[in-house]
Amino acid sequence: MHRARLQTFDRPQAVPRPRRQLPVKLPARLPAKLPTKLPAKLPAKVAGAVTAAAVLLALAGCIPGPGKPPPPGPATSGTINWWSWTPTDAAVAKQYIAAFNRRYPDITVNFKLVAIDSWDAVLRPALASSSGPDVFDMEPGQRVQLFKGFAEDLTPVARKALGPEWKSRLATIGVNGLSHNGKLTALSVGQTYAGTLWINQPLFDKYHLEPPRTLAEWKHVCQVFRSHQQGCFVQGAAGAGFNQDTLQAIADSVEPGIWTRASKGEAKWTDPSIVETFRIWKDLFDSQIMQPGAIGYQQFPDANNDFLTGKYAMIMMGTWYMINSTRTGMQSSLNAAGVAHPKAFPIRPVPFPDVGGKGNPAGLFGDADYGLSVNIRSKHRAAAETFVRWLATSTEGQQAVADSLLDPPSLQSVKPRYDKITMVDDARQKPWIKKLVSQTSTVSEPRMSLMNNDVSTAMQAGASGVATGQLTPRKAAELMQQAADAAAAVNR
Amino acid sequence: MTTALSPRRSEPGTSESAGDRPSARSTRHPTRPPSGLGWILPALVLAVGLIYYCIGYTGFVSTLDWDGVSPDPPSVGLRNYQRLLADPIFWKALWHTLLLFVFTFGIQTMLGVLFAALLHSRVRIGVLYKVLIFIPVVLAPAIMAPVFRQIYAPDGEFNQVLQHLGLGFLAQPWIGQPSTALPVIIAITIWQWTGVNFVLYYAAMGQIDESTVEAARIDGAGNFRVLTSIVWPGVRGTTLALAILSAIGALKTFDIPYLVTIGGPNYATEFLGTYIYRMTIPQAHVGYGAALSVVLLIIALVIAAGFQLRGREREVPRV
Repeated sequence: MHRARLQTFDRPQAVPRPRRQLPVKLPARLPAKLPTKLPAKLPAKVAGAVTAAAVLLALAGCIPGPGKPPPPGPATSGTINWWSWTPTDAAVAKQYIAAFNRRYPDITVNFKLVAIDSWDAVLRPALASSSGPDVFDMEPGQRVQLFKGFAEDLTPVARKALGPEWKSRLATIGVNGLSHNGKLTALSVGQTYAGTLWINQPLFDKYHLEPPRTLAEWKHVCQVFRSHQQGCFVQGAAGAGFNQDTLQAIADSVEPGIWTRASKGEAKWTDPSIVETFRIWKDLFDSQIMQPGAIGYQQFPDANNDFLTGKYAMIMMGTWYMINSTRTGMQSSLNAAGVAHPKAFPIRPVPFPDVGGKGNPAGLFGDADYGLSVNIRSKHRAAAETFVRWLATSTEGQQAVADSLLDPPSLQSVKPRYDKITMVDDARQKPWIKKLVSQTSTVSEPRMSLMNNDVSTAMQAGASGVATGQLTPRKAAELMQQAADAAAAVNR
Repeated sequence: MTTALSPRRSEPGTSESAGDRPSARSTRHPTRPPSGLGWILPALVLAVGLIYYCIGYTGFVSTLDWDGVSPDPPSVGLRNYQRLLADPIFWKALWHTLLLFVFTFGIQTMLGVLFAALLHSRVRIGVLYKVLIFIPVVLAPAIMAPVFRQIYAPDGEFNQVLQHLGLGFLAQPWIGQPSTALPVIIAITIWQWTGVNFVLYYAAMGQIDESTVEAARIDGAGNFRVLTSIVWPGVRGTTLALAILSAIGALKTFDIPYLVTIGGPNYATEFLGTYIYRMTIPQAHVGYGAALSVVLLIIALVIAAGFQLRGREREVPRV
């Protein structure tokens, strides 16, 4: 018996397969000879045909599109899902939602925080399927290009909320960055501006230093800090976004507006001022203003944590850092940075030094920090519009945004209520923050919204290459121009 | 039962008798399904549906200029492949993959054989050593990446150790400069995967006939000679399997470089996996990313086939 079983394994073709074992049940009228052939041939043919058809159908239908919108649902009740990369502190988003629910108690808002690094990977398939969020964050620039097809045009919503002059009542920079060919893909919740340095004021006080106004002063300040074993300036130069802030600030110091003109295609990236920008960038590394290993650092969490833990005294951040002026915001950030015994300290925004040495005033540049888009496929579009309209255009919603100090609000009539905000050092910090917020009202230079993704990648490659000495400033500028030319050719 | 096993009981002219004569079977029943089709059908459907469909779909996408969401992406034919051949980052990533394979396979093999040989001798608390060697294999890279970022930071533990040893002049930002970032990634990979080599070599060495080793010792062979002339040839099959796994692992490398250095600085630790992700997700060049994926698949297949053929060629003389 055992032997017979072994033989069976060795020669499987010898096992008889009676007709009754065939899986297909045959019709009674078929000729007697057919059954042995039909079931044997059919599976191969059917399988081939089914496979081919399935592959063709699948391939033909695999490119997703927005499709036809479903009915909008009720406007004052229901459950909506809001996917967001910011506010990164979920407690801030919950404050917004709690304030919203005081006005609209029958709309439940589920907030889902997604890391910005994973944003595209998460949102793209979700929007392409029918399981996407009802409301999602939108960033000016490349993401408007990418997700515009899935976002409802919110122009009627804005007009209904603010009247025919709605554009003039909102921050221009927020509307422009989130619009595409006349379609308002999202309503800006608040703006974000960069071009400032933030300093650890107690460390400057400790060593009797003033914020640097020129490149020479910056080098001196860093020299003093280093002589006391204290880190000076920290930058997460591994990522393109924050490097762009620094490069744009340098470029504005060399020739105001040149970066924006090059972004628009009105000037070449190989312009001498851009080459000079990269040369100064290199100088920041050579003169050890940049910390050792900066191009392996990420702004979040590395550089941010190092600044908050006091390892370094200066960092390149924008208005999103205002929240760390508040006592609760600073405490929350210190906890997130893993500080063992967190002790809040006052931070101060200072203008970017005149590194070009031409006396040009430091400027700010900005965009909508984020807008809220309504998913065109949402089954709760009306409720989603209610939420977006409330947060982005109502005085009540915008006041909640302003008071969080995360972003300067979009609605121009709303200002932060400083008397209701507790800062780490009220007496010193409130004037600094008030001044910064007032400066933002006149900013017209965009930050990210004009930058093509490929040009941004080339910029990062150029910046890293120059920093490590692998590229000359001229070559880095040429890389950017080549990417811009290629992108322009694609668009044509 | 006996009846069922005998081929002679089959009727002439039926498929059963044809099973004894392959040539007759192929001419008279050319499309006869293989026996057991019903049993393998679920697996077949799963494989075709999930794996081969995805491969086919990726091939299809590689002919598009697609951002991943546009409903009507234009077809660009083979232009993505042309672009790939002229892309210096692609070649850089391929070079890094080769370096990673050479160093990780070489060093892991050496360490794996060494640890396995040592632990086959009488070692005190050998179980503890085995656990220690294998623990890195089960630790998720996502957990270890921040630890390594800290260790190799400019003020990290690695530099502190160097300074304590009087080697402070060697301290540097290890992952913050192109010249040292790749060696760090290679070191982390070796740390993580040496345990697998060790376990497989340890098991393979257990299969070597002890009498052969004893005979060699009687003939005067020392430890080194036994290791190189008896043990090493005896674990050749394991080495081959590990070579294939290491090569495919190197091609698929993603998590460690992405989590530790994000493929930088300045593409110094870019691998095919990280480059595919960079192109497909942040850059939204999904068609180009798909072309890179197809090339990755082809390279993996060629390498696997190459190793298999090489293994067979070596096996033939022994048979």
